[in-house]
Amino acid sequence: MTGLGPPREGGGTERRLWAPTGPLTLKTVTDHWKTLQNLLADPSVRAVRVDLSGVDAVDSAGLVLLKSLRDRCAAAAIPYELTHVPESLRPFFAFGGLDRPGVKKSLPQKTAANPLERLGRLTLETLQDVRELIQFVGSVTVAFFPCCLQPKRFRLKEVLYYVQRSGSEAMPIIFLVSFLMGLIMAFQAAVQLRQFGANIFVADLVSLALTRELGPLMTAIILAGRSAAAFAAEIGTMRVNEEVDALTVMGFNVTEFLIMPKVNALALSGPLLTLFANASGIFGGMVVGALGLDLTPASFLLEAAEILSPADVLSGLVKSFAFSILVALVGCLRGLQTEKSADSVGRMTTSAVVTSIFCIILADAVFTVLFHVFDI
Amino acid sequence: MDEVIPRAADVMIQADGLTVGYGEHLVLKDVTFSVHRGEIVTVLGGSGCGKSTLLKALIGLIRPLAGSVRIRGADITGPGRSAALDRMRRHIGVLFQYGALLGSLSIADNVAMPLEEFTDLPPSLIADIVRFKLEMVGLTDYAHFMPAELSGGMRKRAALARAMALDPEILFCDEPSAGLDPITAAELDELLLEWNRALGITMVVITHELASIEAISTRCLMLDGSAKGIIAVGRPDELKKDSADPRVRAFFHRQPRLLRAGASSAAAEG
Repeated sequence: MTGLGPPREGGGTERRLWAPTGPLTLKTVTDHWKTLQNLLADPSVRAVRVDLSGVDAVDSAGLVLLKSLRDRCAAAAIPYELTHVPESLRPFFAFGGLDRPGVKKSLPQKTAANPLERLGRLTLETLQDVRELIQFVGSVTVAFFPCCLQPKRFRLKEVLYYVQRSGSEAMPIIFLVSFLMGLIMAFQAAVQLRQFGANIFVADLVSLALTRELGPLMTAIILAGRSAAAFAAEIGTMRVNEEVDALTVMGFNVTEFLIMPKVNALALSGPLLTLFANASGIFGGMVVGALGLDLTPASFLLEAAEILSPADVLSGLVKSFAFSILVALVGCLRGLQTEKSADSVGRMTTSAVVTSIFCIILADAVFTVLFHVFDI
Repeated sequence: MDEVIPRAADVMIQADGLTVGYGEHLVLKDVTFSVHRGEIVTVLGGSGCGKSTLLKALIGLIRPLAGSVRIRGADITGPGRSAALDRMRRHIGVLFQYGALLGSLSIADNVAMPLEEFTDLPPSLIADIVRFKLEMVGLTDYAHFMPAELSGGMRKRAALARAMALDPEILFCDEPSAGLDPITAAELDELLLEWNRALGITMVVITHELASIEAISTRCLMLDGSAKGIIAVGRPDELKKDSADPRVRAFFHRQPRLLRAGASSAAAEG
């Protein structure tokens, strides 16, 4: 029951009595609050008296409700009176500060920065990002040659571990994606080529497109999704657990210990995966050729072998080598940039994938121009 | 080449005018102190007073904005710091608050890591040393467990064994007793005291556990967040009884600041 009594007139003041019954707890507070909202909205109210004799339980929600009523009456300069407080509730009310007027401190607001300030901050953050990137590339470059030339520093065990995780374990997905791509390409091309009786050129299309562009590109994108994310999450979690700090303090070179094995592993497995992708895609095209274009597998493969030059395959492998190194570097960089929270690990993992893909496409454009200029 | 330190110069750590902060936010301002060989210095203070930041500056994880830190006489904050840090790191051990063991290795492999990396000892000898260190912390039966399979206290002990792997001259501990039950905490304190007595290891221990402070400290350094520096130096019993600073007395006598809902903020600061 809301317990709101009728207006009582006397002495020139309109005094309202509120005598709730039952518990004033989380379950019941909402209804009481609505009643009190109406009460306080009434401009004719000049004084408020609260009678708690019918109340048997009060929890924090109820206490806050009473305090809120008291403060709002004080703000509106309406006299407020709390009566018939049950003995059992007095200690709780004393602890909660209901018996003395409070200094209400509103929670500090975060002031919204004006656009110019935000722009300035964004610029500074971007510059800091670029600086970290340059430092990172520098440290990796410095570590690269000693790492590869001295067997102990090469960390073969770790490199092989990552070759297995990033390379051999990626083969199923690489096969699936490339096979289907070869299939799709051949199918789409067949629709047009069949009209001219030029079925056999499907082999040329599929094999050239795959070895020069799509093989390295799709392999790199899959590596970005699998390995860049994995490296960023692994190193990021190590940052959160202070493992990177522990390694630094023990005197380990983080670049040599954490980053180079991953970079070397991808540099080895990327081109190999690309070869595998090329083969899978050509196989996919071959399936379409055999099933829909009256091409025997042998003729398909012969045509592909004829049109492909070493330059086609090698240029694809060189691209793949570069893409793989970029993917590994970006993954490791984002991992090292992780701050000490789970949220940051998630964000940096996502950023690793996105940034890797961006770098891959950028590098692909550079290679395309270079190969064109050098007529490869 | 290690620097030869003459016996007379037994200052292991010297901080002068150390100012550390993040961006514009200063945590420590103009902090000066020294730690002598064989001392166990506890660094204490309330939450947010800069204890962890000070530790990071001393072990070279953060570069100070001003001032210098000399470890065994070598400046790790000025030009030439990377070489100095490299040399220093072989002679210090750090116990991080949550252990910071590498999650992908067993604790035996974790302890073996610095030995494999920085010495040319044969594997069998390394295995023996690892067993010896794990024996010292009472974890021989768990040598091949992964860190995730151990309790918090056991992880800390394993991390301590790792920190001690190369017999460092200085041991830094970040809140070694945090989260441990009283008995395990007391055992850890005993371990630190034993090593200090037997091997003469200098120790800097960040902590705010009063029982540990009173058990192990040769000297205490008390930091304060608003002062951004050291407000008291001395033996724990001296600070507890004779300190004129109310903040120091409140710390040692566990006096809470009264914070009640509805109490005025003036009452809270009193």
